[in-house]
Amino acid sequence: MAEFHDTLRALGNRFDAALAEAPNERALETVRVDFLGRTGEVTLVRRAIGTLPPAERPEAGKIINAAVAELEAKLDTARTRLEAAEIGKSLGDSIDVTFPGPQARVGTIHPVRRIMNDVARYFARHGFAIVLGPEIETDANNFDALNIPPDHPAREGLDSFYLRPDLLLRTHTSPMQVRSMRTSGPPIAIIVPGKAYRRDAVDARHLYQFHQVEGLLVGRGIHFGHLKGMLTGMMRELFGPEQDVRFRPSFFPFTEPSAEVDVTCPGCGGAGCRTCGGSGWIEIGGSGMVHPSVLRSVGYDPEDVSGWAFGCGLERIAMKKFDMHDIRDFVENAPAFLEQVG
Amino acid sequence: MRVPLAWLRDYIDLPSDTDQIIRKLAALGFPVESVETRPHISGVVVGKIAKIEKHPNADRLQVCTIEVGAEKTLTIATAATNVAEGQIVPVAIIGAQLPQMKIEPRKMRGIDSEGMLCSADELGLEAEWFEDGIMQLDLGLPLGADVVALFRLDQPILDVEVTANRADALCMVGIARELGAAYGVKLRLPDATVTYGGVLADANGVVTQSFDSMDVRVTLESVDVRRYVAQRVSRLRVRPAKTWMRVRLALAGQRPISNLVDISNFVMLELGQPLHFFDFEKIGAHHIIVRDALPGEKIVTLDAVERTLDPTALLIADENGPTGLAGLMGGQISEVSETTREIVIESANFVGPRVRRMSVKLGLRSEASTRNEKHLPIGLTDVGAARAARLLEQEGGIAHMPRGFGKTAGHAAQVTFSKNDVTRLLGFDVHDTQMLRALESLGFEVSTILTPAIADLLGVSEAESDAVSSFEVTVPYWRSDVAIAADIVEEIARVVGYDRLVAEIPLIGEPSLSSAPFERESAIATTLAGLGYHECMTLALQPIAIAERWRASGLAVPPLVQITNPLSEDQRWMRFSLLPALLAHAERERATRPLRTFEIGHVFSDAPDAPQERNVVTILATTRKRADQPAWRDDAFLAAKSDVLALVRAITGVDAAIERDTASGLHPGKTARLLIGTTVVGRLGSVDPRLLRLHDIDDDAVSADIFIDALPAPVVRRFIAQSKYPAVARDLALIVPPDLAAGDLVATFRLQPLVRTVDVFDEYRGPQIGADKKSLAVRVTLQRDDATLTDAQADAAIAAIVSELQATYGATLRA
Repeated sequence: MAEFHDTLRALGNRFDAALAEAPNERALETVRVDFLGRTGEVTLVRRAIGTLPPAERPEAGKIINAAVAELEAKLDTARTRLEAAEIGKSLGDSIDVTFPGPQARVGTIHPVRRIMNDVARYFARHGFAIVLGPEIETDANNFDALNIPPDHPAREGLDSFYLRPDLLLRTHTSPMQVRSMRTSGPPIAIIVPGKAYRRDAVDARHLYQFHQVEGLLVGRGIHFGHLKGMLTGMMRELFGPEQDVRFRPSFFPFTEPSAEVDVTCPGCGGAGCRTCGGSGWIEIGGSGMVHPSVLRSVGYDPEDVSGWAFGCGLERIAMKKFDMHDIRDFVENAPAFLEQVG
Repeated sequence: MRVPLAWLRDYIDLPSDTDQIIRKLAALGFPVESVETRPHISGVVVGKIAKIEKHPNADRLQVCTIEVGAEKTLTIATAATNVAEGQIVPVAIIGAQLPQMKIEPRKMRGIDSEGMLCSADELGLEAEWFEDGIMQLDLGLPLGADVVALFRLDQPILDVEVTANRADALCMVGIARELGAAYGVKLRLPDATVTYGGVLADANGVVTQSFDSMDVRVTLESVDVRRYVAQRVSRLRVRPAKTWMRVRLALAGQRPISNLVDISNFVMLELGQPLHFFDFEKIGAHHIIVRDALPGEKIVTLDAVERTLDPTALLIADENGPTGLAGLMGGQISEVSETTREIVIESANFVGPRVRRMSVKLGLRSEASTRNEKHLPIGLTDVGAARAARLLEQEGGIAHMPRGFGKTAGHAAQVTFSKNDVTRLLGFDVHDTQMLRALESLGFEVSTILTPAIADLLGVSEAESDAVSSFEVTVPYWRSDVAIAADIVEEIARVVGYDRLVAEIPLIGEPSLSSAPFERESAIATTLAGLGYHECMTLALQPIAIAERWRASGLAVPPLVQITNPLSEDQRWMRFSLLPALLAHAERERATRPLRTFEIGHVFSDAPDAPQERNVVTILATTRKRADQPAWRDDAFLAAKSDVLALVRAITGVDAAIERDTASGLHPGKTARLLIGTTVVGRLGSVDPRLLRLHDIDDDAVSADIFIDALPAPVVRRFIAQSKYPAVARDLALIVPPDLAAGDLVATFRLQPLVRTVDVFDEYRGPQIGADKKSLAVRVTLQRDDATLTDAQADAAIAAIVSELQATYGATLRA
């Protein structure tokens, strides 16, 4: 039994020496296999139990088990120490964080669509449907149903692109008012984002093709104040809580009363700057209470329901939002432009 | 429209603050586009040239003795040549401030000059439009009076925008009337009382007897002249108009010509009624005929241009031929000249669109036509003629009785509205008296039909009675734009101010229309942006060159949709595809590679019954060419295909099937269609090399169209729990014929029920497997849901698949 103890002690000493020399976890594993593995030294000692008298065997087993537990604990300690050393070493590493990484594959959404989405999100939150429509329209939808009489200047091809005598590229998104009201009875709450076309010569402020968003709310008890509420909300969504909206009387054949919509100039916050000509306001579109003739043309009863409509140019809003000065940039799609504001 | 405040103040007392007037106008619906301020001028007084002597020491100078009132005289030397004794002239006294100078005492060749005689230029007026030299003022002006105050030369000129429905406000009185309503002050309307040949007309303008029996005859042969008032005025003498009139016209941007021409312009700008004066003696047989022009008929207009007409032109003619273009411009033949002694005032009302069409066709516009092409009030014709006659009387003329032809103004329109109309449209209450005052100040006559008190008598409850107050309004003759209650509401709102609108958020229920198409577009854009594509927006109108270049390269183009009235040939054709613009963009941005772009938009094709449009998204991925790529493989195509499939799956929740296809613009051997069920939802392919050559693009370019309207509504996929038993993976190399599609191979694998995933991950062609063969490397996983799959079972399944592939395609396992 004493010899047995000696063997274990010697084994323990060799184990300690091997542990102390092991430089890393792999070396530790070798030590573990050499001593505690299936064919390791401890196993050899354990086999020697069979040579002891049977009465001593249980005692010897206990001693070996205790020795194994001690070895394993030492092994754990050594492993923890080595791990800590390795982490400590890697914590000392340092890189140049400003070194450029590989280019991420990131795309962009066109700035006009971004504005469109912002407007749509605001109106959707308040229960409006967002509907789309065709760009080729009948003059009946584009003009007649909107109370624009046959002898109106807009109809003589000065402002409109005609495809056939009765077909044209819509000059505004307003014909979707008519299409939508014919599809659905009141109450109706829609906005219509989309392209419109007017026969304008192209310059820094004009494109013959542009985007509008049309709004229409018709139902019982709808009044002009509701338009002011929604447009104020929309502008605050787009430009921040300082925004205000003001209406000025104007004329559109399809609304009565009619108003131009001015909003706080985002450039100066209303203080007056070059963008707004010093007035503190910029014009973003037209609006008004839907003309009784329009309501009647779609089979609504103007005695029973009332409503408003507005239309504003999305490029105009986007130009204010992104501080742009040339509308042609929207159709140039220069990568630098898209990456900045897309 | 130029509105000199100097002129406006003739009719209305306004505050001195110009900005306040501008704000008021804007609030009324008449935005001021710009303001022209006047130069600062002071110390200029009315003077009379009492005596002129030659300057003793200078040939070119004269020494004038000028009376400036209060027995005061000044000695002023002048180089001007148009001075004469007795003239009334503007005199800048010592200390006066003129636009370019300050007047100081000075010696002129030895004579002390105590001031300066002024030209129009020195008073800030258009030099060319007035006397060459010293400006001439009217005899009888008070000597010593301040010239700036007399003619309000310090008052700015506003450029006022007038909306198309307010032809009545395209004049000084119209604008003054609006401001009168806003400020609550009375107008001083211009004097139009005429003494016809010395006999005063009665209050209704009715005169029983004409000054001269030989008058002018008028025949209206066209329905496009609604009313024609002709009035003869005799014993006229052509000379410059009075200073006040010349100054007002000049400030309004109208060049003064002579008293007769100026009066016709003045009345047009004052009242909005365009007038034309004919020389009475030059009207053939004194018979005016309004008729359509004959084909090829010619007229020389006042601008000295000979114009050849067709029957769309509406003529004022006499028995000898055309004398003017109706509502647009007079003819030289009947023009008022120096020798004119008698004229005929034409004050007519034409159908606006007729005048506009003529104006557009002839490329000729005038101050008269901009008014006549709108809906001018018929009643204005009589008022305009009377006012002109009055002013001509003041010039010494004798007016004959006016003669009116065609329609009369007729009964004034009546509109009924209730207080409820106001509150239900505006959302706020306006007090009754405020409404009435607003309307009356604009010239409407209001009578109350139902008041709360009457309603009470009729038994209407008190709560309702306020809302039911209703009124009958008589619309003034000049407001033909007002016809319904909503129009009245706008009038009230304009005067009380749109600022009273209270912002309120409406409560709306569930939308009755679908937002799905918009949301789908939006999701497409978001998904493609996430995949690294940049959204572009390009122009939809294109030159024919695009289609022609496609056709010349052997590429098919659908029937094009044509704009019949393009602004230029560059914009005559609707785009048939979004690809040309994206390729042009890739060509322009050749420095940027890879360049991945897309556009969502409508493309157009013509069809017999109607032009068609459809909504597509087109993507274009342009990447640098890979040099080591064999002809049978196109990695750029494969990469784009993965993107497109990811897009379709993101939008619809479904994986599209890919089949070989062809499409114009895409490489015939590298094109596929995307199918969901049996519906073709898109096409994908490497861009046809002929197109790349057109755009001088030397890169790999892959494009796809997704037909947005063909995409099915998104489906929510059901979750299928994964087997909890381990899967077995096997890699196979199969030697197959070179034209066997990987898709067909995969389909065969999928027939075996144990197969869970099949991934063709490599293709090899080369000497090791011999010609006309290829090797496809496939990783397949097999799994059971009910037990662990044994190796033997997996081997059996693979063997079955391989034997099926052998039978169908002659495939063999690579050794």
